[in-house]
Order: sequence, then structure tokens, then C-alpha cells
Amino acid sequence: MPYNIAMVSDFFFPQSARYLVAPPALLLIASQKLIDRGHKVIVITHAYKGRTGVRYLTNGLKIYHVPFFVIYRETTFPTVFSFFPIFRNIVIREEIDIVHGHASLSSFCGEAILHARTMGLRTVFTDHSLFGFADAASILTNKLLKFTLSDVDHAICVSHTCKENTVLRASLDPLMVSVIPNAVVAENFCPLSHTTRASDQGLSSPADAPMSPRPIGPDDPITIVVISRLFYNKGTDLLIASIPRILASNPNTRFIIAGSGPKAIDLEQMLERNVLQDKVELLGSVRHEEVRDVMVRGDIYLHPSLTEAFGTVIVEAASCGLYVVCTRVGGIPEVLPQHMTTFAKPEEDDIVLATSKAIAALRSNKVRTDRFHDQVKMMYSWRDVAARTERVYEGIIGDISPEEFYGYYPGQGWEASGDRVRSFALIDRLKRYYGCGVWAGKLFCLCVVIDFLIYVFLEMWFPRANIDIARSWPKKPPASKTQTTRSVR
Amino acid sequence: MTSPPSLDPFPPPIPVDTHPNRAPGSKSPELERSLPDPNRLAPEDAYFAPSLSRGRSAPSNYEENLRSMNGESSAHIGSAALRKKLGGAGRRRKRKSAWKKLLWVKQSYPDNYTDTETFLDHLQRNPRVRPYDFWPLVADSTVIVQHVCSVVIFVCCFVGIVQDRVSPVSIVCWGSVGTAVGWILWDNWIWKEHEESVQSANGITGSDDGSSSTSFASAVDTPANDTQSDYTKTNAIHGLGLSMNGNESKEQFAHRSADFSESIDTVTHLTGQNGVPSAPGSSIIGTTDPFISQDTHRVSTLSPRNRQRLTTVKSAFLIYFALLGLSPILKSLTKSTASDSIWAMSCWLLIMNIFSFDYGSGEGAGATTKFPASLSTNAAVMASTVLASRLPSTTHVFSLMLFSMEVFGLFPIFRRQLRQKSWTGHVLLTLILVIVAGGAVGVTLSGGWAAAIIGSVLGGILTAFVMGGCSWWLISLQKYKNVVIGPWDPARPIIRRHWN
Repeated sequence: MPYNIAMVSDFFFPQSARYLVAPPALLLIASQKLIDRGHKVIVITHAYKGRTGVRYLTNGLKIYHVPFFVIYRETTFPTVFSFFPIFRNIVIREEIDIVHGHASLSSFCGEAILHARTMGLRTVFTDHSLFGFADAASILTNKLLKFTLSDVDHAICVSHTCKENTVLRASLDPLMVSVIPNAVVAENFCPLSHTTRASDQGLSSPADAPMSPRPIGPDDPITIVVISRLFYNKGTDLLIASIPRILASNPNTRFIIAGSGPKAIDLEQMLERNVLQDKVELLGSVRHEEVRDVMVRGDIYLHPSLTEAFGTVIVEAASCGLYVVCTRVGGIPEVLPQHMTTFAKPEEDDIVLATSKAIAALRSNKVRTDRFHDQVKMMYSWRDVAARTERVYEGIIGDISPEEFYGYYPGQGWEASGDRVRSFALIDRLKRYYGCGVWAGKLFCLCVVIDFLIYVFLEMWFPRANIDIARSWPKKPPASKTQTTRSVR
Repeated sequence: MTSPPSLDPFPPPIPVDTHPNRAPGSKSPELERSLPDPNRLAPEDAYFAPSLSRGRSAPSNYEENLRSMNGESSAHIGSAALRKKLGGAGRRRKRKSAWKKLLWVKQSYPDNYTDTETFLDHLQRNPRVRPYDFWPLVADSTVIVQHVCSVVIFVCCFVGIVQDRVSPVSIVCWGSVGTAVGWILWDNWIWKEHEESVQSANGITGSDDGSSSTSFASAVDTPANDTQSDYTKTNAIHGLGLSMNGNESKEQFAHRSADFSESIDTVTHLTGQNGVPSAPGSSIIGTTDPFISQDTHRVSTLSPRNRQRLTTVKSAFLIYFALLGLSPILKSLTKSTASDSIWAMSCWLLIMNIFSFDYGSGEGAGATTKFPASLSTNAAVMASTVLASRLPSTTHVFSLMLFSMEVFGLFPIFRRQLRQKSWTGHVLLTLILVIVAGGAVGVTLSGGWAAAIIGSVLGGILTAFVMGGCSWWLISLQKYKNVVIGPWDPARPIIRRHWN
């Protein structure tokens, strides 16, 4: 059955020119695919400069830009309760069943989940990032995450490593966390040889079948592409250290580096010191739409990141037909099959070695990069992501029985915890929050009680009856039906 | 959406080697399943973790707890027991295909499926914890006691001067005598060590001298060689002169103790090339202190030992006269500030000094502390400056400033060297300091010899209790240590060369 879903996130619209794939673009595409499956999706985010009020995107995806005070890099100021009145209004107006929050650093999302639970809605949380446990900042973030997730109905993580991390950080029941990876729009990331086919899919004749591009000879130039923000976490230091050695040991190799950041100066200094300007091309920051055009200019994608929950960019690179060299960190080892990647330890020597190996493999034609695009297309698709997310919605709403949803594995041991179907009773919620910590637990309980009182107050002063119900966008019939009718015609 | 017919079917999903614990094909899966590895955590441990690890129900014995914390050497008792109780032999219902920790394979398991074998199998708890022992901990705490005592002595001296109980000249005289004795001792140790290193270096045939030649070159290249007048001007700022002095000797220490082999190399190289027995100090310090490098080139008639002594005496006089000149200025520095603010400020500055002081031995990785050593010294100098500005005459100010230089600038260097040289001396010095500090507090509070004796006895007892109590407390806190390390932590990049 179709649900009314509210996506909540601080980061929604792609920010200016910075290359940032993670939540915004993904959220947009995921919402579209859910609409395709017959659900009603609205997005709640904060107001951007010159982008306020209610907006409509393709397929009637409605976006509420709530006026809010932005503190740092599009993150709103955490005021626990001030968002409640307008949130309640939107939720009632749109008849929302499920609130789906994104990104763990978004205070918006945490508040929305708290209010939604107070209002008796089911909530889902998607985590895109990994956090350690050591430093003070992580401790604070983890406490906040615990606050958000103590009462959530289900969590979605982008990789199994991310799931382990989230389960540990928020002390969740592992069965309440699903792993649903991100996907790529494969049509937007196709290699050069595919361009004709992608434009008219239906008319492909055998002659158009992917001609394997001219094989790379042992002395042909190899181009290595790096697209990442130039931050410490993205392994730019490793990149800077290994570029001269890779270029020295592999003749006829060049680099294309796209992205900007604080480490860009170091990179430029390295180039000047080693006089590598003619072998390394710096593009600066690249817009999301241009990423594919940069990628198809290369043969190898090098990803020296130090931590990564999923690494959408390496999927995009593989989809563009690039052989991927990446560090074995975070969730990256789970993402691509072995024939598409060479893994390296996050060490300078190992990255040089792995890249040289990859170059040698390409030059000896051991890797069929021309098949990567079709393989990636079968591995990751948004349609699949939407279907899997829908199953999560069904599970928490109760359309799938808890036994089926959470699985029943006799003898496995952890079916004992019966608190998976989270009740809305205030006392049960308080119990959950109380366990968050000696001091934090009491503070969280206080927040929940105040939130509940505000809710009661709002119900009295702004009764539901006075709030108009928004008419929903005229729905297409579900996607599968459209296809069949089209084929009949 | 169908793949073209020419496309090969997928290669069989080869599990990428994400699990070092199960190398592909090395063990049969049945064998692996039937033996639950107690080192691995079960999924239920994740959300029962606090109750398991914390052991709120009064851990029966500490040793046991520590051992289970280390995790690798011994079994994770709790989880193993739990798993045995719950899961029989941990056997899972046979499925059509084994679950793989991969995202690109379409699996027949639901998305929230949690695999008992691989879930959290990379998690490590307290991988680098090394348990403390009581007595070594107490012994190490003497360093802190020494520093706190010297600060207390300084404060007591100031109070004595302010209350006109002690003459500032006598304090600075005693301090200077102590400093001179300390310096002579220190000088002796350094040279003994140097001679030893030269002897051992003569045994080794110096073959490679890449590193030493660079250090020599940089010593030659020091640009400020002929600008002594300039340098004196900058040195006239009292704080700078002090920190230069401190840095010089500290650097020497670092080279002496940490880069021992390199210094040997340097020495062999120098002796081999010049034929003159040259001072290691000159070649090492040259980069930081233009004075000495200058001397190396000009006054080569003196023996290196005397040359260095001459340098030290020279800088001592420099500081002395700079202070003498600055004293009238310092005296009126905070005339417009109320005394209350001065007390509060100097209190905070001294606390800052105590907390940011470099208590490490200056060896190995501990040498790179979070705070620069200069922060501590500068805080102390500033504290003594503002305190000195409360004093009535120039002599008072000068005496207190000189005394503070000796206590905060030179005394720590001596203490560090003493600790490396002789442990007995270190303990003896600690005892003396504790007694003197206690006595000084007693005298300051009520005056008279009886008060001093009572003070030192009380101080000694109190210090002993605090040392023991804090050590015991730290050890007992160790059971709460729960460091969790896993693949989600940002990797530490290993880079061989630095490009800057």
C-alpha cells in the first residue's frame, strides 16, 4: 500500500559548486524512485539563500524549505523544540505516516524524529557516515546519535561496516538496522563507447553492441583520475606522497585531479617542487554533472581515502569503465567485486605498488573494463534501493509481520529482545531514553517530557481540525502498470 | 534493462578478502562454524556491551578484568559464555548459500540479516592497553611532585619577600649558588657522556655520513653569524633569552639521548674530517644558536669544553644584565592594576605552568607533547613578572626575576638530567624538595622553626598519601577503559617522505 513519507534532512539541495554527492543528490533520486512506486514523498529541509517556501520538483516532489538559522556548512542550529509547531503543521497537512531522517550530523533530522515519535508516527533513520569512538567530538556526536536513535523504528546504513558502527554507537538491536547501499544512475555514468547506445536504448542493433575499445598496448598512455575533496580524511597526503613515485616508476602515465579543499596548496607545492605540471592536470572543483566527463578521460580511478562509509564515487568510476585502485578502509571492500579493483593498504608504498600493478594489468589487457558498466548497472540501481527501502517501510508500519521482517532464526540467540516494534506509550519511550546514560538519560527524558507537553499544548491551541489537508499531486499508476500499458499500446 | 547477450555471466562471487580471520579456502566452513571463536563478539554483545564490559556488578578481581580487557590473549569470557548458553554450539541453520559481507552481490537474505560469524569480527577492544603497576607509577609521579614543590617554594619565597621576612638578595644568592652547583654537576655529566660516546665512536668505523654532513652544512650556513649586535638586541627581551637557553640545552638532551647513534656519527665525521676534536655541542646546537657556531669558527684555540663553558657564562651574564636593565620597567609594569587581579592572574598562570609542564623524559615518542614546553615556561615567567611588579624596589624585582629564571628555566633541565643519571639522586632531590616546600609553607603560614618542622612533616605525609592515593586511583580507574577500534576508524596513513 502506498505510504506518505516525509524525508527530513539538513542537506538537501546540492551546495553550489562543491562536489558533494552524499546525501542531497541521493535523497532526491531515492525520493523520485519512491514516488515512482506509488508513494507520496515530501522533503522537509531548511531554507537556503534564495530558496524558501514550498517548491515542487519533478513528479510532484514537494519540498518544504523551513526558515531556520544556519550555523555551519548548511547545518542548522540545534534548538530542540522550536521546529515542532511547523513540523506538526506540515505532518498533519500532508497526512504523513513515516518520517525518514537522513545524515547523523543533521540536528534537523534528530529533532524531526523526536517530534514524529511524540506525534505517534513511525520513523526511519539513514546513516551515511562513520565515526570513531576516541575523541571528544565523536563522544558528543555519538550521544546525540543515541538520543536520535533510542526511539527510532528502524535504521538504514549504507554498508555493513557502517551498520556495525551505528549499532555500536547507538546500542541498537542489529536486526533493527538494514543495510541498503547507495546506487548510481548508471545512465549518467557510462563510458565513452556507450554514449550512442544510452541515447536510444530500444533501438540497439547487434552492430551497436559494445565494441570493446581499442586495447591498451604496453606503451600506451594511461591516465589516472582522482576526484575527491582535498581533505585529510580523503587521503590527500597519501596522494601527494605517491604521485611522484607513481609517475617516476611508470612512464607514459598522467594524472587528472579534480576537487578542491585545504590540501590543494600542498598538492600544488608538490607539483612545483617535482616539476610535474605537464603530467598532472588540476581541474579544481567539478560540478556533479561534469564528473562523468572527467572520469571517462581516464583509465584508472585512484581513491586513497582514509575513511569511507560506502564510496559512491568508486561505483561511479567503475560504471564509467575505470579500473579502481582504492584503500582498504571502512566499507570500501564490500562495494566492488575483485575483478574491478585493486586494494591497497593506506600506506604510501602500498598505494604506489597497487597503482603500478593496476597499470601493468591494464597494459597487458587482463582487465575487461568495457564490461564494467553493464555489470555495475546490474549491481546497483535506484529501483532496487527503492524496493528495499519500501520493505523497511512495510516492516515498521506492520504490513509485514514482525516475525517475517525481523526474521525468526531459532537457536540464533538474540530473538529475546522483544522491543523491536516500538510502542508509542510515553512510559515506554521514557524507559528507552533513560538507558542512554547516567546524566544523558535523565536529560533526554526531560526533553521527551517537554516535547510531549508541547504537543498537548499544540493540540489544544491549534487543533487538528483547523489545519487544512493538502491535496496530493495526481498520482501516476504504479510503475509496473505503466510499463505494461505502454507495451500493450 | 537486459544485458546484451555477448556479456558473460557474472563471475562467481569471490568474497573479497575482508576477513583476515578466515582466509578463503583455508578452513572448511563446517569446521569454522562448529568452533565459535571466543575472541569474536556476537551481535548481541553490541547492545549488551555496556553491561558486559563495564562489569557494574563489582568485578571480582582486577587482574582478571584486565586480562579480559586485553582481549587478544585470553577469551572474551562473557560473550563466549553467553553464546554457548544461547546458541548451543553457535550452529546456524543451514541455508542455500552462505551470507557474504558484500554489497554488490544480490543475496537471498533480508537487508537486516545479521551474520553471527562476521558481525563485528574486526572489532578490537583495548588493543594497546598496558596495565600499570603500583610502585612504578608512584615512582613516576615524583616528577610531578618535584615540579609542584618547586612552584610552591617559589611562591613561598615571593610571600616572604613581600612580607619583608626574607631579604630578596639572600634568596637570589642561595638560588644562584644552587644553580652554579647544578650547572657544574650537569656540565660534568654531559662531558663524561660525551667522552664515552667518543670512545665508543672510535671503535666504530664511520662509513656513512650523510646525515652528519647535512647537520654540519646547516651549522655552517647559519646566516646570523656576524650580527652579534642585532642578536643582543633581540636577546634583551628577557623571556626570549631564557627560552633560547632552555631550548639549547633541551635540544642537546634530545640529541644526546634519543639520536644517540646519529650523534656518534656526527662525532666520527667531524673528527675524521677536521682532525680537530670538536665539540658535539657545536655541531648539534649550531642550527639554533648562532653564538656557538660563531665561536666554533673564531675561537678555535680554546678546548671545545671550555669554549662551551665560555658560551654559557656569556649568556648567563647577558641574561643577568638584561634583567638588571629591565627591572625598573618591570617594577612599574602593573602600577595601574589592582593587586587582586595580579594575585588571581599569577595563580592561573602558575596553574597553567603546572598543567602544561613537560613531565616526559624527553625520549622517544613522548618527546612530542601536546603542549609546547615553551607554553609552560612562558606562563611561569609571566606569572613571576606580574608578581615582581608588586615589589617595592628595583633590587627586589631583579632578585625575584632572577630567582624565577633559575627555578622555572634552569632547574627543570637539571632535574631531567639528574633523573636520567642517578635514580638515588632523583629520589633524594624529591625528598629535599618536599621537605623544603613543606617547611616553607609552614613558615609562611605561621612563622618560626617549629612551624617549619611541623610543615615539612605534614607536607611529607600528605605528599606520600597523595602520591599513593592518586596512583591507586588511576589503577582502579583502568577497569573502565573501553577503547573500541574497528574498520570505521579513519586509517592512519603511513607516509615515508614529506614533501615540505
